[in-house]
Amino acid sequence: MLRFITGRLVLTIPVLFGVSIIVFLLAHLAPGDVTTILAGPFATEVVKEKLRISFGLDQSLPVQYIKWLSHILQGDFGTSIANRRDVADLVFPKFVNTAILALSSAALAYIIGFFAGIFAAARPYSFSDRIVMGVTLMLGNAPPYWLGLLIVLLVSLNWRLLPATGMTNIMGDGGAWDVFLHLIQPMLTTAAAPACIVARIVRASMLEVLSQNYVRVARAKGMRRRTILHRHALRNALPPIITVCGLQLGYLLGGVLFVEVIFAWPGIGNQLWQAIQARDIPTIQGATLVIALAFVVVNLAVDVINAYLDPKIRASEKAGAT
Amino acid sequence: MKQFSLKRLLGAAAIAGSLAFASGAATEAKAEGGTFVWGISSEMSILDPHVACGWLTTNAIHSIFEGLVMLDLSDPNAKNASLKPAIAESWTVNDDGTVYTFAIRENVRFHDGTSVDADVVKWNYDRFMDTGAEHAFDQAQAYLGYYTRWIKSVEVTGPMTVKITLNETNYEWLQMGVVACGMPMIASPTAIQAMGNEQFALTPVGTGPFKFVEREQNIKLVMDRNEDYWGENAKIERLIFQPLPDQATRLNAIRAGEVSMIMEAPWEELENLKNEGFTVTTNENIPSIWLLFFNHKNPIMQDVRVRKAINMAIDRDAIADGILKGTGRPEMGMLSPGTYAYKPGYAPIKYDPEGAKALLAEAGYPDGLELDFDIYEYGYNEVWEKSIQRDLKKVGINAKLNKIEWITYMGKWLQGMPPELQMNEIGWGWTIPFWTQVMTRCDYHPPNGFNVGWYCNPEVDKLFDEAVKQKDKAKAAALYQQANDIIIGQDFGYAVKFTYKNPLVLSPSVKHFVNPPANWYDFSIIELE
Repeated sequence: MLRFITGRLVLTIPVLFGVSIIVFLLAHLAPGDVTTILAGPFATEVVKEKLRISFGLDQSLPVQYIKWLSHILQGDFGTSIANRRDVADLVFPKFVNTAILALSSAALAYIIGFFAGIFAAARPYSFSDRIVMGVTLMLGNAPPYWLGLLIVLLVSLNWRLLPATGMTNIMGDGGAWDVFLHLIQPMLTTAAAPACIVARIVRASMLEVLSQNYVRVARAKGMRRRTILHRHALRNALPPIITVCGLQLGYLLGGVLFVEVIFAWPGIGNQLWQAIQARDIPTIQGATLVIALAFVVVNLAVDVINAYLDPKIRASEKAGAT
Repeated sequence: MKQFSLKRLLGAAAIAGSLAFASGAATEAKAEGGTFVWGISSEMSILDPHVACGWLTTNAIHSIFEGLVMLDLSDPNAKNASLKPAIAESWTVNDDGTVYTFAIRENVRFHDGTSVDADVVKWNYDRFMDTGAEHAFDQAQAYLGYYTRWIKSVEVTGPMTVKITLNETNYEWLQMGVVACGMPMIASPTAIQAMGNEQFALTPVGTGPFKFVEREQNIKLVMDRNEDYWGENAKIERLIFQPLPDQATRLNAIRAGEVSMIMEAPWEELENLKNEGFTVTTNENIPSIWLLFFNHKNPIMQDVRVRKAINMAIDRDAIADGILKGTGRPEMGMLSPGTYAYKPGYAPIKYDPEGAKALLAEAGYPDGLELDFDIYEYGYNEVWEKSIQRDLKKVGINAKLNKIEWITYMGKWLQGMPPELQMNEIGWGWTIPFWTQVMTRCDYHPPNGFNVGWYCNPEVDKLFDEAVKQKDKAKAAALYQQANDIIIGQDFGYAVKFTYKNPLVLSPSVKHFVNPPANWYDFSIIELE
């Protein structure tokens, strides 16, 4: 197992290297000159050039990349051009906010998806299966922007139960309870789509496993449905489910932009969008890199969990290595 | 507000009850707190007045800082905002309008406790105009070039007296110091020296009615009442600007009672908001106009008949009433409202698509023509630009809209139009008609100004030169209007579309808010019930 994890960790290095190049180039190849905004509309070319030099934008792209990468490796994400703050100070708190929303939404989505999927798989093609799958399909395909607004309209504006915007009461002192109250609506909105996807993959995976001969044998031996589901089917059905759950979490950690915008949730997606609008290259790079890193880490965790659950994966890895 | 019938069902749930209690407690705290929260449409820039730009940022800057003079924004009925004393208690101007002597107000203190005197004023002016000064800030000098290019010298003539001498007479110069891009406000030298330019822009220290408390990027800017203010203290205790970039989010926030005011509400929602008890305030004299620049270096656009035809083809009423739902007003002149030179109802031509077609045929385009039109991706401009595109199509002009992301657009716009481009656009204005000069003068072609369509008429420039020398505003206004009649009525050098009445939505608890003839507000006069 340790060997498997080490192998996977080593593989993340070229992935992250590739990501860093793409992130760097994407931010730099976009048209537009940030000094236009920084130096104001009356700025002379001399002042603009001084600014370019101060931000290192006058150097060749490879030189800029090497400098940027070496700073990143030392934990220095640079200074935001638009906000004059450390990029790390801008990006990491926002990533934590997104992580709060993403992890809680993912947990909710997994719980709903898992139980809905198992429930449906245990009664394939029955009326209740169709109802459960129909509802998840509808919710999962509802555009988050529309769904979020609908939830706010009902919960905040009509029923006056929960706050409509922000992560804490802007006039208050915050606190965990305040964050929780603000979290409920964005969490419900964000969880809808992944819950649907998880439910469908759980159902499909379970149905596939339940059609296997060893399950038929278990049934023929008179085992209870519950025992068959829990003891024999579930573990074998888990790897594709874990993979999909991991992917969903990765997407959520990337910032659920629409939900962050509708609920004014100060997450990384919102921050990245603002940085793109301001052509704030260091912030764009920092935010994108953090998102990519989160995606890689989640995928690594998924691989490790799958390898733990499924000895065949470990075995194939070993065979591939030798 | 409408009540949903399911409320009763949900009200029965115990958990809902507890949540409602928690939510209600937050609302109660607001009523007692005297906190005014403004839901703004985008994040602001940094808060160093000498290098800050944009109307939203100016709202914060004008709350935290003061210049020698400020705009009086307390009169909702004023046709244009006049100057009022601020750091300078009074000032005198010599006979030919070239020497301004300012008496600095006694007992003005920065938020860090240090005092303002003539040396402090000089130190600030050196920061943004003296390249040889130890604390010279080149970015500030770039931003404030439009203001400092008129200044010959700044002298301290007494402990509380500053004399500023201009290169030539310009009676609009003083008010140039209160426009929204690079502002000659007085900042605390002690704070700048202690923090450096970068940090000062994040934790600004001025003398204004509000002092900076904290800023969380994309979350909030918090300012508290300055209890040691030299003038009358602000009525509210706390002022918060909260970026809420999405229109629907801003609407939700004000309807949920989480903010006190929002900007840029959807036009079609304004009537509903009024019916729900919110105050919707507008101003007829907002100093800005939305206009099309024609490229006078492009052979097609060099023909005045084409420019006139485009002016005749645009249905301005359709934009003002149909799209903006009455929050806009058709305009044709290059003199913006909210300035002393504005001429209401100026309209040298009427909407006349048939006449436009005939003119185009006369100009040699009986089968129509194709035009390239740069537009920016920011705000809601695409809606009316598409309306203009349809109007032009009706007269045979096929306008290709090149939609460009804002920063890229600004970079291109500031360089002036390349020869192959026919039109681009902007919406802008100052509280003084000098803005029209910046947009139209021959010597304000890029990179020296914003005449990005390369319009040039020396006769117009002569009238402008005369206008700034007039102490009597009525005489100056007449000269400006004469120039305007040449720029538009004769040359059709631009196509001005409309002016915006700036609707703001206020919660019923807000009292005495004034939507002034400016693009920023005086928050010190607001009261909360």
